Amino acid sequence: MIKVLFVLCLLLSSVTGQSFHFSELRYSDAINHYTQLNGTIDFQKDSLEISYKHPAVDFFYDGEDIVYTKDGKEMPLDATQKAHMMQYFDILKMLHVGDESELKSEFTMSHSHGFTLLKPTGTLRYYIEKIELTKENNLLEYVKLYLKNNDYITINIDNEIH
Amino acid sequence: MKYINIFILSFLLFVGILLKDSIHVSTNLLSLFATKESVTKLDIANNLGYSKEMIIAVKGFDHEAKKRVKKIAEALKKLHGVEQVEFSLVPTPALQEYYKNYYPLLAHFDHKPLTKQEVEKKLQSLYDAQLTNVFYTSINKNDPLGLFVLPQQTGNDVAHRGSMLTLGKYGYLIRVMTTIAPSQMNDARKLYDDVEALLSHYHDVIAFAPFFYTVENSAKIKADVQWIVLLSTVVLLLIYFIFLKNIKLLTQTLIALASSMIFASLICTITMENFNVLSLAFGMSLTAVSIDYLLHYYFHNFYTTSQKIDKNVFYGFLTTIIAFSILSFIPIALIAQISIFAVLSLSFAYGVFTFVFPKLSFPQYEVVEKNELITRKPLPAFSIFIVSLFLLAYSAYNFKLDVNMRHLDYQNKHLRGIEKLIKEQTTLKMSAVIVEAKSEEALISHLKELTCKLPKTFSLASFVLDKKTCQNRLSLLHHYDFKHLNQLVQTQAQAIGFKKGYFQESYMFTQNLPTCKLPNLDIFRAFSLAFFHKNGIYYTMAFVPNVVEAKTFDFVSDIDVKAMFNRSVATMYKNLELFGSFVVLVVLGLLFVSVKTKVLYALNYILFPVSLTMAVLVSMGSVNIMHLFSLIILVAIGIDYGIYMSNSEKPANTMLAIKYSLLSTFAAFGVLIFSTIVALNSIGIVITLGCGAIFILIKVMR
Repeated sequence: MIKVLFVLCLLLSSVTGQSFHFSELRYSDAINHYTQLNGTIDFQKDSLEISYKHPAVDFFYDGEDIVYTKDGKEMPLDATQKAHMMQYFDILKMLHVGDESELKSEFTMSHSHGFTLLKPTGTLRYYIEKIELTKENNLLEYVKLYLKNNDYITINIDNEIH
Repeated sequence: MKYINIFILSFLLFVGILLKDSIHVSTNLLSLFATKESVTKLDIANNLGYSKEMIIAVKGFDHEAKKRVKKIAEALKKLHGVEQVEFSLVPTPALQEYYKNYYPLLAHFDHKPLTKQEVEKKLQSLYDAQLTNVFYTSINKNDPLGLFVLPQQTGNDVAHRGSMLTLGKYGYLIRVMTTIAPSQMNDARKLYDDVEALLSHYHDVIAFAPFFYTVENSAKIKADVQWIVLLSTVVLLLIYFIFLKNIKLLTQTLIALASSMIFASLICTITMENFNVLSLAFGMSLTAVSIDYLLHYYFHNFYTTSQKIDKNVFYGFLTTIIAFSILSFIPIALIAQISIFAVLSLSFAYGVFTFVFPKLSFPQYEVVEKNELITRKPLPAFSIFIVSLFLLAYSAYNFKLDVNMRHLDYQNKHLRGIEKLIKEQTTLKMSAVIVEAKSEEALISHLKELTCKLPKTFSLASFVLDKKTCQNRLSLLHHYDFKHLNQLVQTQAQAIGFKKGYFQESYMFTQNLPTCKLPNLDIFRAFSLAFFHKNGIYYTMAFVPNVVEAKTFDFVSDIDVKAMFNRSVATMYKNLELFGSFVVLVVLGLLFVSVKTKVLYALNYILFPVSLTMAVLVSMGSVNIMHLFSLIILVAIGIDYGIYMSNSEKPANTMLAIKYSLLSTFAAFGVLIFSTIVALNSIGIVITLGCGAIFILIKVMR
């Protein structure tokens, strides 16, 4: 009975969406500097929301637009920034959903040293060198994006928020 | 001699087989209706990919819809006839390469020399952003100061959600460039079937392409024509089997009609370059008018007497042939071709019925003269003439022309619904025009001129610089000291805290600038901006917000198919009016020669059916070109009957011949009234009404 309830809960959470705590580490090659950020990431069926703790900012992406809020106040984003962020959020969503056919339309996939390695084949290859990721129980656990300019972004998804 | 009719048919079939490689039948319906200039223009537009785009829309904006779009797009790319598939704003690799190479020239360059302080300030702000920005900000190593800015493209602000193309509020959009023009029937059907099969696996997906009309409508027309042919055959068999009870006459008539059709078909399709399949079909139907001659001969026992020529049939034949000969000079391809076919097939049929049939030994037709029938008729010819004039006046007063050629086609509600939905959801209202020039350079200059006048214009000029602008920019970049700027950036960046050598390559891309040579323009096909060269003229398409203003340039011409057809139709009606009036005058003259004092009586056989039919047509709505053309057939039939009835020595036999002839005509044309295709239905209505009017005449006019 408990197992059934557990499965039902899992199903329900996949329908209604999933929220996680995460930590993000960014490396900027230009200034040889690491930036550490923490927050929550909320994957919904048709949207994605990332909330950082310090500074208190929030990004809500519904597949069409991004709403950027800082200290509870909506802030403007310029078109180029918006376009880059949308692309980034689309990749995160794609990695979270993990639909193999969708991933294969953008990347070549291979597995090595416990990682899944994705190499972009389409236009993403102009910006992204490769992506490493791991999943635990079919849930995204670790992502590292290697960018063409030698920068990289590492995301560790810690635990699901219930 | 009794097999001579079969021998003629066999001989013609043999000739047909021998010359089969020389037979050319055109299936391009456009050439029948549009002017030569319009056809050439549409041909150029086809080469530029106009009308070859297919739109596929997936309902909704959820993740599932996105996935479906990608799956469908992948599958579409594998189909034969698909050239390019677009569903996102992300440029193609070829276009990215182009931007990479031409970036320094395409971008607006802020050429104001920068001071050390200004460089320092900009770099400091970049440095701070790396430390404080909560969203990831990448640095452009090549242009850290942001001196080069690509201009916003105008005219191509297509609807999108994120990077995905959308069809208004309906859902995601896939734009497919195909190689299929609406006139390529076989390829169109193949791709249509493939797309249908592919989309059958997905729900809430709509697809539309202009060639879908070609496929769906032709299938509908084919089914309709098959049903009409079956109906026509049944009616003809009924006439001969049940009423005439003469199987031999039926067999020989069918052989004679087949020979006449083959004779005319061979001459027309071998000697004329673009003889159209539609003209062939109409011409074949018109051949059935010759049954008049046979029935008149048969009911007047022409085949059992030694008479060489029946004067009435000869006059009827001559008048019809002269009328069609005049119409064969009309500058409307469809009518001219049908008229030539009619002259050939009717002449052949007349020859066979007059000179071959007497040798086939038909039995005498027994008929009792009932001349009292004639004397009992209530209405004199004059009163019918007056009624006809009233009906004509009524028709002229209420006359309304339908110039829209699309109304003649099968009314495909399903496709029209999808087309309407797509039009309503498309927010970008731009019209395509053709731009031409004598060189590629001149073409781009013309496009630039057009963009200056109509800034929202979307064309190759949105991507490619004209030579003058390009050379100015090149000169500006050559005169700017980028080496000094590079040194300044490197020194200041290092002083601020950037990694040593990080900006080593900054602005060095300006040291290897491209030339002002035009790129391969084919890479812009993804935007429906193709480029085409023929007979020393270069063509491309531009999308403009206002065609009328664009057309003020002599290098711009519109490709609005509807407008072209409407212009053609207006010319067609004028020509039809002119030639029609001439035919009427000639027919009147010939009637006067053949019937002398009974000219009013004979004239009523043309005037009354035409005026009654016109009156009914104008009461029902507007009159189209097929109605008018069918009226000409009605005139051709009316001439024969007028002459037969005016000069008849055995009126009861003549009336009987006409009744059967009317039934035959109804079998050939009248059954078209049951067609769902407006063009065919229009012919059916006119012929049925006309036959009815003639039937009334033979019953009431004395």
